[in-house]
Amino acid sequence: MLAIMQRIQTINACFKIVVVCAVALSAYSAQAEVTTGIDADAGLPYWELREAGLSIRLVQRHPDQTRAFFLARGFSREDVELIAQSCVFQTIVRNTAPVTSSDTLEYDLTAWRVQVAGASQAMQNRESWAQIWAAREIAKPARIAFEWALLPTRQRYNPGDYNWGMSVFGLRPDSHFDLALSWSRSGKPYSAVIREIHCAADVPPKEEAQ
Amino acid sequence: MRLRQSVIPVLLCMLVAGLPAFESNAAEEQTLSAVAKPVAAPAFELTDIDGQPKKLADYLGKVVVLNFWATWCPPCRYEMPSMQRGWENVRDEDIVFLGVNVGEDEDTVFLFFADYPVDFPLLLDKDAKVIEQYPVTGLPTTYIIDPQGRITHRAVGGRAWDDDSLLDRLRALKSLEE
Repeated sequence: MLAIMQRIQTINACFKIVVVCAVALSAYSAQAEVTTGIDADAGLPYWELREAGLSIRLVQRHPDQTRAFFLARGFSREDVELIAQSCVFQTIVRNTAPVTSSDTLEYDLTAWRVQVAGASQAMQNRESWAQIWAAREIAKPARIAFEWALLPTRQRYNPGDYNWGMSVFGLRPDSHFDLALSWSRSGKPYSAVIREIHCAADVPPKEEAQ
Repeated sequence: MRLRQSVIPVLLCMLVAGLPAFESNAAEEQTLSAVAKPVAAPAFELTDIDGQPKKLADYLGKVVVLNFWATWCPPCRYEMPSMQRGWENVRDEDIVFLGVNVGEDEDTVFLFFADYPVDFPLLLDKDAKVIEQYPVTGLPTTYIIDPQGRITHRAVGGRAWDDDSLLDRLRALKSLEE
């Protein structure tokens, strides 16, 4: 009798484990996880969204980093200011689906929205900047560098694929914003919001030195 | 006993909940995506950093690993040493690595290779005419071209090109032709 009671208790305990684990796992897969911290490579703040099959990390870029990068690639000081003052992040998008799966990941930056104080605007992308550079008659080597340095406007990733690229949010330095983003995984649409992203401040060199 | 009863379920849950994370890490394995229908790789002729002309057609009959990259691109820099090691492993097996630099000049590329020495052919696509012929949207992107000159696989983002399983897949493409 004692042995039967012990067995029933064991079965009961196992059932509880299964239920608790099921609850934990359903929460894991249903909620996008956003983390923030300091990017180990850049030494600057990042915001990272992780969902099933997707990770997107936005790493702050200091305006001076952006100035240095594009000055070295043929842009004038005046043109560089246009970019540096537009809230630029280094962005890493990755298809994190198991390599044994065939889950494709797709996004379209033209559908993402930058939200500030109840208003929303589109991100600036390769195509919108190409029009600016054409109007300003920027030399082709500089335009090539700019185009390929930016995150692709649209991309499709197979498992294991990823890109690094700059994304430009069209806000003044030191601004805060929410980013409403969307993507699809094997054709199924998903969306999420990353809140309270902070554009790097444009700290003058004198203040930085203090 | 009570402690064990309470700890074991927690450990089990941690183990099970950790599985998705493990699956995510599995994506770090080196992948090559097969294209649905192999297509002829667009022909091109470019000069290398020594000014010597090179045609893609020169490599017909070999497996070509065609890598589009730039010196300022972090994942391009990360994968470059592994490309050199991969090239050293297969250079005698009719498998060729070709690096196509996008939009930069000889001096920039030459300086880069002081830090990242490679000796497989490096071609300069200064005006981005060649990359525009390929369906590339981000750097680095690498295409695998079979001995018949068809694009068979694609990799977006960097890879560890000295990975044994990845090199075996290149060898398999070569052996298919034989």
